[in-house]
Amino acid sequence: MTALAGELVPATRNGLSLLLLAMADDEFVIGFSDSEWTGIAPMLEEDVAMSSIAQDELGHAQALYGLLAEVVADGRDADAIAYDRPPEGYYHARLLDHPRGDWAHTIARRYLYDTADSVRLEALTGSAHEPLRDLAAKIRREERYHEMHVGAWLERLATTPGEPRRRLLAALGRLAADAATVLAPLPGELSLVMAGIVDAPGDDLDARWRSKIGPTFERLDLPMPPALSDAAGARTGHSDAFRSLHAELTSVRRLEPGATW
Amino acid sequence: MTDPIALDPVLGPHERGWLPFNDDGIPHDERYELFERHVTGGGKVESTDWMPDEYRTGVLRFVEMHANSELMGVLPEREWLMRAPTLRRKLALTAKVQDEVGHAQLLYRVAEDLGKPREAMMEDLLAGRTKFHNVFHYPTKTWADIGIIAWLVDAAAIVAQQALRDSSYAPYARTMRKICWEESVHIMHGRDVVVTMMNGTDEQRAMVQEALDRWWGPLMQMHGPRSDRSKDRDIHWRIKAKSSEELRQEFLSIYVPRILELGLTLPDPKLRYDDEAGLWTYSEPDWQELRTVVTNHGPKSQERLDFRQHHWDDTQWVRDTILAARASA
Amino acid sequence: MTDTPPADRTPAAGAAGRGLEPWEVFRQEKDGDPMRHGGSVLAPDAELAVHYARELFGRRQESVRLWVVRRADVHDLSDPDLLSPPLDRSFKKPGGYVMRDKLAAARARSGQAKPKARQG
Repeated sequence: MTALAGELVPATRNGLSLLLLAMADDEFVIGFSDSEWTGIAPMLEEDVAMSSIAQDELGHAQALYGLLAEVVADGRDADAIAYDRPPEGYYHARLLDHPRGDWAHTIARRYLYDTADSVRLEALTGSAHEPLRDLAAKIRREERYHEMHVGAWLERLATTPGEPRRRLLAALGRLAADAATVLAPLPGELSLVMAGIVDAPGDDLDARWRSKIGPTFERLDLPMPPALSDAAGARTGHSDAFRSLHAELTSVRRLEPGATW
Repeated sequence: MTDPIALDPVLGPHERGWLPFNDDGIPHDERYELFERHVTGGGKVESTDWMPDEYRTGVLRFVEMHANSELMGVLPEREWLMRAPTLRRKLALTAKVQDEVGHAQLLYRVAEDLGKPREAMMEDLLAGRTKFHNVFHYPTKTWADIGIIAWLVDAAAIVAQQALRDSSYAPYARTMRKICWEESVHIMHGRDVVVTMMNGTDEQRAMVQEALDRWWGPLMQMHGPRSDRSKDRDIHWRIKAKSSEELRQEFLSIYVPRILELGLTLPDPKLRYDDEAGLWTYSEPDWQELRTVVTNHGPKSQERLDFRQHHWDDTQWVRDTILAARASA
Repeated sequence: MTDTPPADRTPAAGAAGRGLEPWEVFRQEKDGDPMRHGGSVLAPDAELAVHYARELFGRRQESVRLWVVRRADVHDLSDPDLLSPPLDRSFKKPGGYVMRDKLAAARARSGQAKPKARQG
């Protein structure tokens, strides 16, 4: 696998690193954020379900960081990449900068994220970068389960009159401006398309995403996310909510840098 | 009166299909006696069998406290979920806490099938009318606490749970077998966290020792004060089979050597194995502390109940959604 | 956007608002094993019941198959008159055929000992 990464020209390797970092950080942040529901979800059965989904995301992040470590090959392992960066060094989509919020907010955010991620993974199914192709295929199989769960909940909230639907609409409203950040074009993505690592650029993926969620949103009479207004800032300028999360998740590790835990 | 445990079972196992106390036509006292002989002779009880009130309430109280403890036990560890220092530890700890929630679900289901609705159990817990085990009333101060709890608190719990796998109340016994299987992973995770730190820096070792010093007292109190077997109704009904002291001795026998081999010390100067007596001797645990704590006057009791109450209230609308009728075509 | 859901949406299965019910979960541990009762989950409908069953009885990859059934749909039979009727039915079981003494008598008459089991 390192041989394969070594075969990439610098432009492609940089583009690939950014893609992997974006994907890994997305999974890491949403996994961390949603794992907060463990122990306090609305129902015991739901608690176990949401926790599994959060763990899956963290497992995906772990695998993606591992792949990134091989591509970047600077001596860092997956944990070092995951934990040992300042908040500005994280490259997750702004959609995931929002805090977990209430149940409706979590479901709305999950739905927007999972559907976008699904489009992104599909674009990697024929990837010329074999390790990424294989990992994307595995992740897709696990993500089907997430889509089932979040789809069932979106349906339930959208079709229950009164407070549930109101909260869902409020959540979609708050998330609207950042909803399309997951598939925003990445720097260097054209070199990835040319190298056959991704099958389409961000704008095409965004269009695919909108065709995917359009019918459901129409049927449930939900507002479609607006077009992304600030593509360049889609993955930068992280929120206070993220900074608090970052401070907490690094707090033990920072006690003894370099120690084994 | 002869020791009920010495009586032969009235019915062999192949005759389980029809139990005479299930006959609605016979008088209550006779049913009670037949039931008592069945249970004390090793017979099992299912949720659909007739039960004397004393048995039903005894099992319910036992199971409910266990369920409450799994639910409240989530909270001390949950604080550290967000602070796990590696991806693997984060995954392992999240999976462990998830298991505790899963165990709460399994146990509340058993209690529900005995006739008490889940909401009523939650209300009683939050109002302080029902209890949860002492160890979950204490604070967790460092990452080392996470290792110590996962290893030793879970170990003490599993010693009790192993003994419940043959409980007379069959749905509970079956649940215990599943829970024991799942808990064994937790103990390994906890021990791994502790051993890794003990092999690490001086600061990490000091953190572990400090955590152990704080947790040893509650651990020794966890199984409860010594009690007279012959007066224990839970033992009489075979809901549980081992006494508090038997469980504590078992815990000490397995885990004291494993603690000492890591270079840790135990904060009880009197703790030692008496070869002649064939028992561990130790400083008398503080039973007053135990009583204070389990009546919800522990250091974190109220805070944790309030936390639960807050999140329960916050998510009421979601439970109402699950129950609500939805729009139809 | 209104708070009222659209009039033309079709309800998902089980939206009858029956509330939370117990669903029994049966699991198959490995290929070839029988389905065995594992426990139960509370759920409002089949969709979530299946999801929760997977969580409680399959998240550790400990089952290869799960069946989920509403408890209310399980037909229970435990009537002793049907399952343990009082008159003798030993002719339906191996234990109803005790031949030890008869065989001993036959062997005595034929002068032969009880045959030893053949190897292989």
